[in-house]
Amino acid sequence: MTTLTTAPRWRGTDFGTQVLVLTQRSLRALVNDPRMIVFSVLQPLIMLTLFSQIFAGIASTPGFPPGVAYVDFLMPAILVNTAMQSALQAGVGLVTDMKNGVLARFRSLPIRPGSVLVARSLSDLVRTATQLVLMLVFAVVVFGYSPAGGVAGTVAALALALAVGWGLGWIFLAIAAWLRNAELMQTVGFLAMFPLMFASSAYVPISGLPGWLQAVANVNPLTFAVDAARSLALAQPVTGVVGALVTSAVLAVAGWLVAVRGFKRPL
Amino acid sequence: MADLMIEATDVGKAFGAQKALDGVSVAVPRGTVLGLLGHNGAGKTTLVNVLTTMFPPDSGHAEVAGFDVVAQAHQVRSRIGLTGQFAAVDEQLSGLDNLVLIARLLGASPHEARTRGNELLELFGLADAAKRPSRTYSGGMRRRLDLAASLVGHPEVIFLDEPTTGLDPASRLGLWEIVEGLVTDGTTVLLTTQYLDEADRLADSITVLAQGKVVAAGTSAELKAQVGQRTVTVTLADVSDVPKATEALARAGMQPVPAQNTLTAPVTSSREIAKVVRALDEVGLEATELALGEPTLDDVYLTLARHAA
Repeated sequence: MTTLTTAPRWRGTDFGTQVLVLTQRSLRALVNDPRMIVFSVLQPLIMLTLFSQIFAGIASTPGFPPGVAYVDFLMPAILVNTAMQSALQAGVGLVTDMKNGVLARFRSLPIRPGSVLVARSLSDLVRTATQLVLMLVFAVVVFGYSPAGGVAGTVAALALALAVGWGLGWIFLAIAAWLRNAELMQTVGFLAMFPLMFASSAYVPISGLPGWLQAVANVNPLTFAVDAARSLALAQPVTGVVGALVTSAVLAVAGWLVAVRGFKRPL
Repeated sequence: MADLMIEATDVGKAFGAQKALDGVSVAVPRGTVLGLLGHNGAGKTTLVNVLTTMFPPDSGHAEVAGFDVVAQAHQVRSRIGLTGQFAAVDEQLSGLDNLVLIARLLGASPHEARTRGNELLELFGLADAAKRPSRTYSGGMRRRLDLAASLVGHPEVIFLDEPTTGLDPASRLGLWEIVEGLVTDGTTVLLTTQYLDEADRLADSITVLAQGKVVAAGTSAELKAQVGQRTVTVTLADVSDVPKATEALARAGMQPVPAQNTLTAPVTSSREIAKVVRALDEVGLEATELALGEPTLDDVYLTLARHAA
């Protein structure tokens, strides 16, 4: 046995390296098992395919922005929706690490607990960006997505969707740190997000909704996120971008504070 | 005192109304193995969790490698290795990547991390599976990878929480040999187990926990002596012979306890079996079965819990 001879004494590393190494770890899992990306893109792709076909007629109804193809109208909403679904996965990933003992191992190492959370958030950001880019490529190639905002507008819309997903991701990390149950999180997340998506400006203009639903949609934060992304992509007068970014930042900070507290509790 | 690598003094920890640890003290000198013996719920894992800085104790004080587990948790963490009851490996990563990850988090360069990872995989007989995702590993392989992961940083103190539970006999033996090798190299080990033979084989000293309290501490030999040694059990063919046999053994200076067609008496050495045979022979009886019983963890418990009460 020579496990202790020639022993270099490693005493830990700085926060930046911790975050980097832990982020690489999560991304490597993604590379090792790309099915996760494929399946996570599949659902929004199906939505994109179905909605762009089923609701194409909406583009000719009154209240719809004139001269805009439905797919161009739809895509920013799909981006925001996908980023939100993806945010849920940040929390699910954290719970999985708690359950399989990996976090217990990390806790016995000289690393800051926050680095685990930041790494989760960062790797999720990379994963979401990959998903969104895949979606966009598909939309351009298959459905001829070409919004008035061009590449710049589309990239801006994508960045905004990422920011929204990132902020929301911190909320799910906070919930995960306290709830610690993946199935429950997924159920609750789906139940919360599904109606929010439809009771918003995501798929049809708000003016096309029944009265009571309009009332909901007008105060639904998702409406603001979708409208902001859409205004960027369609090169319309920009609305609510600052609001969406500020809201995301607030969500992220609140999520961080709650997540760190919850995360420090014994496993 | 400088060479005590683990020192817990009067440590208490409660979960709600449940006292998981109730004034526990242990002291482990450098390069020795402490066996922490106890049934499920005795408080073994709670003590390991306190000592590995997973959560602070409610009362008392604990130092590992000379550092306070609460105030200097970071220093403690850079000197310990922990192998829990469940193999804590990242299933998405290969065996090598699991070890590289830990080494990098401890501050090794990418190159150093790979070297250390390969070294440990070799040592644990996992070199052939180095590149395979660890989710494809068998239970025994996962356990070995988990143990390897706890050794990446050349820890001074290793905590093994029921390391052989669920392992087959060969894997169990292999793990024992690895632990013995580490101790030879000067590592200090705290091992929790439910198996007396495991503590017997590995531990320099044993602490028995029951309901969060230390009910006995000492070497394996001291403990067994305290428990009331070994027993011999005589089985007779005819129940009606039992009183006669009881009398005969009592005359020979033993304390037999009859039960149905058997008699059980404490003995200090196996040589006393001859005494039993002679005593029975003198009254014209013959045992159909003679069995020498080693004290088990249950005996330790029954005896010590009775003393504690």
